[in-house]
Amino acid sequence: MGRKRDREAGSDDDDSSKKHSKKRTTDVDQVSVKPQLLPSMIKNKEKRSAVYAKIKHDKKLEKKKIAKAREAAENRALELGEELPPRKVPRTIENTREADETVCKQDDEELFAGNDADEFSSVLNSERPPKVLMTTCRFNSTRGPALIKDLLTIIPNADYYKRGTYDLKKIVDYANNKEYTSIIVVHTSRREPDALLIIGLPNGPTAHFKLSNLVLHKDLKNHGNPTGHKPELVLNNFTTRLGHRVGRLIQSLFPQDPEFRGRRVVTFHNQRDFIFFRHHRYIFETRENKQIVASKKKDDKEEDDNGEEEKTPKLKVIARLQECGPRFTLKLTSLQHGTFDTKGGEYEWVHKPEMDTSRRRFFL
Amino acid sequence: MPRTTTVESAGCPPLRALTFDNLGLIKVTEARSKQGGFPKIVEKWGDPDSSRCVLATSINDRKVDPLLAVARKNGVVELLSPINGDIRVSLPSDNQAKVQPDVDNIVGLHLFKKQTSESSSRSCKLLTCTMKGLTTLRSVTIPKSLGDSTSDDTPTTWNVCGAGNVLCCKVDESENYGLFGGKGVEVNIWDLTTHTKIWQAKSPPKNSLGIFTPTWFTAATFLSKDDHRKFVGGTNSHQVHLYDMAAQRRPVMSFKFRETPIKAVTEDLDGNTIYIGNGSGDLASVDIRTGKLLGCFLGKCSGSIRSIARHPDLPVLASCGLDSYLRIWDIKSRQLLSAVFLKQHLTSVVFDSHFDDEEVAGSLATQLPNEQNIDDESIDRDEESPPAKRKKKKKSKSSTVDGDEEGDISVKRKKAKKSPSSDANKEVSESAKQKKAKRLQSVEGEEEEEESGYAEVEITKKSKDRKSKKKSKKPRSESIDV
Repeated sequence: MGRKRDREAGSDDDDSSKKHSKKRTTDVDQVSVKPQLLPSMIKNKEKRSAVYAKIKHDKKLEKKKIAKAREAAENRALELGEELPPRKVPRTIENTREADETVCKQDDEELFAGNDADEFSSVLNSERPPKVLMTTCRFNSTRGPALIKDLLTIIPNADYYKRGTYDLKKIVDYANNKEYTSIIVVHTSRREPDALLIIGLPNGPTAHFKLSNLVLHKDLKNHGNPTGHKPELVLNNFTTRLGHRVGRLIQSLFPQDPEFRGRRVVTFHNQRDFIFFRHHRYIFETRENKQIVASKKKDDKEEDDNGEEEKTPKLKVIARLQECGPRFTLKLTSLQHGTFDTKGGEYEWVHKPEMDTSRRRFFL
Repeated sequence: MPRTTTVESAGCPPLRALTFDNLGLIKVTEARSKQGGFPKIVEKWGDPDSSRCVLATSINDRKVDPLLAVARKNGVVELLSPINGDIRVSLPSDNQAKVQPDVDNIVGLHLFKKQTSESSSRSCKLLTCTMKGLTTLRSVTIPKSLGDSTSDDTPTTWNVCGAGNVLCCKVDESENYGLFGGKGVEVNIWDLTTHTKIWQAKSPPKNSLGIFTPTWFTAATFLSKDDHRKFVGGTNSHQVHLYDMAAQRRPVMSFKFRETPIKAVTEDLDGNTIYIGNGSGDLASVDIRTGKLLGCFLGKCSGSIRSIARHPDLPVLASCGLDSYLRIWDIKSRQLLSAVFLKQHLTSVVFDSHFDDEEVAGSLATQLPNEQNIDDESIDRDEESPPAKRKKKKKSKSSTVDGDEEGDISVKRKKAKKSPSSDANKEVSESAKQKKAKRLQSVEGEEEEEESGYAEVEITKKSKDRKSKKKSKKPRSESIDV
């Protein structure tokens, strides 16, 4: 430490000849060093905390100054009618995501060829209507069946079967014979649903999700009651190859011809590898634009006639949402090639702890 | 134990690997030392079609006129040139297989490397094995043009198992013995010359609880080159068995590896190390003499490993599988050298071991005529074929190729005039083409060979000159690329 300080001091001295004369007094020397001094270098706690507080205060002031300057510039631009200076985009984890070569590109012919050849293409091309079998794990109670009940209202053409004591492989065979296109298994532990298994049939992949943050339909405040129409489906941010595949798996659960009259929408939103499930009803309403209304009131005093003329363009269409149905979060733990087979299964993707070395690496 | 892998794409030695995928595409990946050993997809052969999904492959990796056999899902077996991807022969499936192609897929394919004395260089022997155990041994003559594929004699067919599904099929280095195993099929060894079963394994005994695990072999390989009696099988219940035909019918040794089925087993050149890959993407090397795990290949691999290939010369291992990455590993340090994303579920990978780096192309080109002569002689010695017949082929073929070459030259010269400072990569690819042409050609007659060879020398000299001019520019352009 000491050596470093000396060196810094020396370099300063070289720069300016004025300091050279003052060098002999130690006090001056310290003053010249002080700005480069880190609080962690000071051993005395009181002094250290004082220095630290000062640094912090300076930083705060500087930040305020910058913010003020920015605001002033914006206001000036508004007054002059110029274009506003561009707002900076904050850096988020998603923004600074690690570069991933598996992200799907729009002009990738192989991707489309692969899509045509994969297990879901017959369902997604409406050659087979989706038909879903739902069941639970062997011991379930309270929240598990409640979730199933909610899911039954969301996924059209879904049937619930009691699990009984059947093996899942037997159920897969049974569902294949009955021409189901997918199986959903809700797994509960300690009376709380904690995993979701989606199996594509007849030879589609098996996705195993961790399920968390479940809020049931009846526990939601101000929830809406959905109609029996076929819902629309929104799949957000499934970018990579793996994500694309998972997205297609989810897509194959729902009918491909939504009834827009029903105005209900089911969302699977992927953010940082967590898939958020939401179910909404929406309505389009026309409303007056508030900002313009406010400005109009000021103008009213000066000129009354012009306000009425501009009334028609001031109306804008907004979508109001009402949440209904359950709300939960999924996280993919494995994607298995073929139907459910824990012993002899081949995995397309498994989450392994050694993959979690960066916060900015995402797989979906 | 480190939680992270430190080396990422440290660069690999110059190599060339071919991968085969779900959609029937064949992709060629090359690493050159010029580009810092960073492998790239160079070529892509075939159109995406799921019915042409590649199930099994085999390469005859000889120096001159190499061949590649590919078995597809629709029952077609194709013989390709691994250099430029031309389909030499396309063998349609049998009538039986046509009826139910899904049920009776080809699982094993072997292209015989050894030339039998009576056959010419243009014919090759092929062993195919289907899931039901239907094994076919046939010899195929490679015609001059595609279409008139001719099987020399009627293929010999026999069944290797009564029930169950064959899942793995291997032929040993001397190519006299075949190894078959699968679901409900114990490992058995067949003499391929007489088509008789000479040995069959006994199923392993029940465990201490009296629980019997049914046989389900998913991968197998012979252990060393000169001994067909020792072999290794990987099972669906994540066990690896070592068998010794000379010792007993039960496994000499067996051990477990992780918790998912063993999907690929490959032997090392030294005959006592094996590489095993499993259904959840773990790859490890094991000393088979002791059954001890030497170490795992760590590298964020998360999809089932379908195929492992050991490079015959370099200390390099390639693995590929459902995570659609081709990964290249260093054997000694077990570090990941590089990974290439190939977009589809890969089924198989092979090395083309006679790929040389293009940096030495200029110097090689001057030597090449001599080399070719030697090669030709050696071939002539190898195959005592009816000379008259062969010469005809030679002439017809070589003339066409020469024509191509001339075209090539003219094109090149034009390019040289037009853009003396063309890209360095282009240069490489052109010289690569030349070399390819040479490797393809070299079976043909000597006289034409020499002429064309001289012509090429001239060109390469020119290209050399150009190269030397560009050398000053190269590093800059590379840095931009990177």
